[in-house]
Formats: sequence, structure tokens, C-alpha cells
Amino acid sequence: MAYVAAKGGEAAIQNAEAFYRFLNGKVSYGFIEHLEKHLPYLLDRIMGEGSLYAPDLAALAIAQTGGDLYESVLLLRAYRSTQPRLAYAEPIQETFVIRRISASFKDIPGGQILGPTLDYSHRILHFDILRKFFKDEIAEEQGKLETSTTPLTSVSHWLRGEGLVAPASSDTTEPSDIPDVTRDPIQFPASRAHRLQTLARADTGGILALGYSGMRSYGFGGSHPTVNEVRLAYAEVHLKHPVTGQVFSAGRVRVSQAEVIAASSENKDLPELTLGFAMTFGWNEVKLISAAMLDLQMNQTEAHPAHTEEFVLEHTEPVEASGFCIHYKLPHYVTFQSKLDRLRSIKAGGILAKEVQHDAD
Amino acid sequence: MTQTKPAKKTLSDLATPPQDYTYAFLDEFAKRELRRKILKAIAIPGYQVPYASREVPMARGWGTGGLQVTLATVGQADTVKVIDQGADDSVNAANLRRFIARMTGVKTTTDTLGSTLIQSRHRIPEERLKEEQILILQVPIPEPLRGIESSMTQSREMHADADYALMWVGIYEDLTRFKESMLGADYPVIVHGRYLMAPSPIPRWDTPKLHQAEHLTLLSAGREKRLYAVPPYTRVEPLEFSDVPFRIENYQDNHCAISGVNNKFMNEIPLANGGSRFELSDSDYTRKLVMQKRSEPVHIGETYFDDEGEFYIEGYLQTVKERS
Repeated sequence: MAYVAAKGGEAAIQNAEAFYRFLNGKVSYGFIEHLEKHLPYLLDRIMGEGSLYAPDLAALAIAQTGGDLYESVLLLRAYRSTQPRLAYAEPIQETFVIRRISASFKDIPGGQILGPTLDYSHRILHFDILRKFFKDEIAEEQGKLETSTTPLTSVSHWLRGEGLVAPASSDTTEPSDIPDVTRDPIQFPASRAHRLQTLARADTGGILALGYSGMRSYGFGGSHPTVNEVRLAYAEVHLKHPVTGQVFSAGRVRVSQAEVIAASSENKDLPELTLGFAMTFGWNEVKLISAAMLDLQMNQTEAHPAHTEEFVLEHTEPVEASGFCIHYKLPHYVTFQSKLDRLRSIKAGGILAKEVQHDAD
Repeated sequence: MTQTKPAKKTLSDLATPPQDYTYAFLDEFAKRELRRKILKAIAIPGYQVPYASREVPMARGWGTGGLQVTLATVGQADTVKVIDQGADDSVNAANLRRFIARMTGVKTTTDTLGSTLIQSRHRIPEERLKEEQILILQVPIPEPLRGIESSMTQSREMHADADYALMWVGIYEDLTRFKESMLGADYPVIVHGRYLMAPSPIPRWDTPKLHQAEHLTLLSAGREKRLYAVPPYTRVEPLEFSDVPFRIENYQDNHCAISGVNNKFMNEIPLANGGSRFELSDSDYTRKLVMQKRSEPVHIGETYFDDEGEFYIEGYLQTVKERS
């Protein structure tokens, strides 16, 4: 009986998956290639949250799940679990900056580089394309790739030179000794490395919600941080060969970083400028600006409960949050039964009332 | 006899054939970490050991903690049973069992007595587990103090100091307000006289089964990245006031509609015309009782609670008479 039913459970799973695939249509290799080529920002988001830089696998994950992003991230993360960590990359030295803007100053050393963006475009639908008026071509002129290889000193470097921001100590920790949040669980208060890694993997929507609440001055004392710098770049990933010790390039990845700045008088007698920072795989400005703002807020000793390190980092983990959310669909009748038993007992007067009764008898 | 020249070995002859996944899915470093953390958990009963908790191909909250422990402990000679709410046929249990079998090739069973590893969500089987068996419980929230202290930094300190006063106050408040404790499943216990532990959302019916158990219990929360253990023959005591004893669910008057027995944990099934029907929660135990009823050959193990509802360790729980 139960054995047959167990078989039934497995058949049900297979039927459900087949139905899902039927509704979503067949996934072809060409489709995955298209996704990879034409939806880079979607891939970036998935790769950032999945903490796995593999555009082809990200495209496959999106195609395979019919575009369910949480499912896609889980696919990448689960695949990650099957891969041993063989090496640690060298700190990024060289980036090819494609976009770099600062809101703190009109002009900055190295210049404002607008790069590729829709920030100042009209958000109107190109119905032409839908009507096939222009065939498959987008009406606008195609740009070409321009990156800056000249080293761009960061704005905070200049601020430090002016004595406005506390000097940064250089960190010479070996890459393999940096705490790795995928190998050691985060504990609170978290190490700087764990915090930044967790923000890099955080859910875009979740980080935006919490970051935005701070931007609205929800529990932030009205201080309005400024975007010191947002950078989109290609970064060269260098690895040390395990045998020869030779450093070689393993390829280029898209990265973005954001730095925000605010005046704070919390920890010192004199107010000073403090920085918030975040960086991730892929180009994802909304996530990064929010994350950098939260990084700043987490440092406040009197942070709003929704902006403390533990609250932010624990609740913006995309795989954990989405997974636990959908787990509520699982049966819970045992725990519910146990609770019902309590409620019925209490409705009947409770164990203590019964004892009082016994004593009276 | 002709002399054959030894075939020239190439690199591909020496290498194992390529496969998409390694044995038990997780990479070897992940399994090693888990095994070390499991040993630590056994050494400090009830203490929550943090572990990296890799993502697995199931959603978080669906038994990924239990699954990682299963994958790190399962060997080729094991026979695995997976239950969800007491049932082997629940879709999620079926899915986990299918995955474990697919990634390891081990035998699976629904028979509690025939299994060496049992992964379970929210139940401990009715038949008594033995020394050679391991029970792996899936845990949603490993921190028993979460309800009274949401900060993990704080609750870690409270565990270090064995400062559980707020828990007692909570139970006391229930008693003054409702004349009864409101704690349903996941009833907090003290393990080996030291650590307060969340036994996972097993009903209170199952809580005593952990006390001085012959088997090893491993509890693991994938999302929260903590695992802990109740080693065999360890004291497990529910939080209770000496004058208000811990009480399990009452199934004196409810009989299973399939097997006819009472005094085992039941599922309540609401009926369209009001009222309810009861069925045993442990689906494989039900299967055995039905076979026995039909006089088919079947071996049923000793149960934690006998037919009268008495617990097998005398003096640990209130007797049925005291309970009613």
C-alpha cells in the first residue's frame, strides 16, 4: 500500500515536471545562444546572485526554468556545490572601465565616463520592432565598445589626499586566507570579507527594498548619502598556476562596484566622511548602490533594526529566502496537529484548571 | 599458449569515465567538512555547529540541511528511508529519496526496521530505532531561543552562559494566561543537562523518543547553516516545571480508520459533514499493521509507546492514568 503510494508520489513528480516543460515549450541550443547574446543584464543578475560567472550556464538556467529567476539562481548555486575550489584568484589589479560616474563632483580626475546606459533615454516602447517595420534592426545607431585602460584613481583616493576621509590601511592577506562565505558560514558580527561577499550574492530586489527604506531616511536620521562613484568594468581574473607559480589570466568578467559617502558624527567628536562599498559580478547598478548604502548604514552603532548587519545579510539571501518561502507549500499537518492539541486542551480549561478541580474534589 | 603483449595504457584508460556528478553529489571537500562538523556535533551534544551548507538541487527549506548530512554519511552498504510528516509517499519525501538513490545508487526502503539511515521531516517513526541506525532530522529553525531573542549574536552568548531563564518565563506566562503551555511541536529540550535544543518540529509525542535512545540522531538546518546531534544514550529532557509536567498529545480515544489502533500519533482528517477521521501518521507502520490484520507474514518492531499508550522507559513520562 504505502510502497505503491510511494511510487505514485514519484509518478506525480514526473508528470508535474512534464506539464511544466510542455507549457514552456522546447529549449533549443539556439535559444540559449540568443539569451546569452541579447539579455546580458539578466544574465548578470543571475550570475551575481548565483556567485558563478558562467554566461552559458546562466542562459541555460534561465531557459530551463522558463525565466523563473529564483529557480535559475538555485540551479547555478547547486551546480557550484559540485565543483571543488581549486584556486583563489589574485586581487583584481587591472580593469577595463566602461562606465564610471561620480555624483560628488562635477568633474573628477580621469573624467566622468558615461559608457553604455539608458539612464537618459526615453523609456518608450519601440513598437516599430513589434510591427517588423524596421525588420529586426533597432532603429538607433549601434555604438561600439570603448573601454578605458588608463588607471582611474578613485574619488575616495582624492578625498583621502584632502584629509576628508580617514586613510585606508592596505590589506596584504593572501587570497586563500580571505574568509570565504561559501566555505565558512557567516557569523555575527561578520568579517568585512563575509559582509561584502554576502552583499555581492544578495537578492537584487531584497537589497533594493532594504536599501530604499534607508534612502527614504527610514531610520537613517535624515543624512543623505552621495554616490561617490559607480563603475562598470571588465576585470581580468588572474590565477597563480599551482605547479609553476606563474600568474596567468583565466578570462575577463563583467563587474560593477559602487561607493557611497556620507557625513557622520557618530563615532567621533568631529564629523567626518564615511564610505559604503559594494561590488558584484555583472553590471547591476540598482543592487550595488543599494548595497553600498546599506554597508554604510550597517556601520552605524544605532542602525535601524532593518539596516543592521544581521538583519540585512540574513534576509536578502536569494536562495534561502525564496526557498523557505516556497517551503510553506509543503504539508505541515503534524505540527498543525500538535498545535490543535494545545488549543483544544486550553479551550477545555487547561491542565492547571483540571488540577484545581481535582484538589477541590 | 601465445604470449600477448601487454596493452599500452593511455591516460584515458587510467582515468575513471567522465560523469556529470561525483558520488553523493557534493564535492569531496564539502563532504569532508560535513563529516568533521558532524563529529564535533556528536562530541558536544545539543550544541549547534556552524557549517558552510552548500546549495543542493532542492530549494532551501525543503530538507537541504538533512540532505547534506545524508549525502555526507551515506555509504554504499546503507539502506535509506525518507519520510515527510511520517509518510514515505509524500511527494517531497519521494523526491529526496529519488535524488539520494540517483546520486549514490544505494538501496532505499520504506521499512523502518530495514533501514540504516532515515531522513525525516517532523516525525520519528513509531517502531523503536536501534543502535546501528541513524536518524537525520530536517530542521527549519535550529535556534530554540529565536522566538525570545532574534539576534544570533545575543543567543550565542545565552547558550554560552546556559542562560535560559527567558524560556522558563515564557512557559510560565503561558501557564498563567492559558493554564496550559502553548508550545506545540518543536518542544524545547535540554540535552545532556547542558544545551537547550530545538528537536525540530516533531510533535511532543516524538520528543521522549530522543531520550536515552539507542540510535544516533543528527539534526541539520541547511538555510541556517547549523547542525547538531543527540548521541545514543543521552539524556534529553523537555523544559518542564516539577509541578506542571510536560504533556504529549492525547490519542487515547482516537482510533486509526485503517488499522484500528490507538495510542500512536495520528493525522486528523476533517470530514465534509463535520467531525473528523483519524489515521496513523507513520505510513509504513500502518502498512505493517494492515498486513498483520490480513495474517500476512510481517515483522513489526517494538514501539516506543505500547498499545495502552505507556512509554517504554518507565518513569520518564507521566503514566496514561496521570495524563488523563
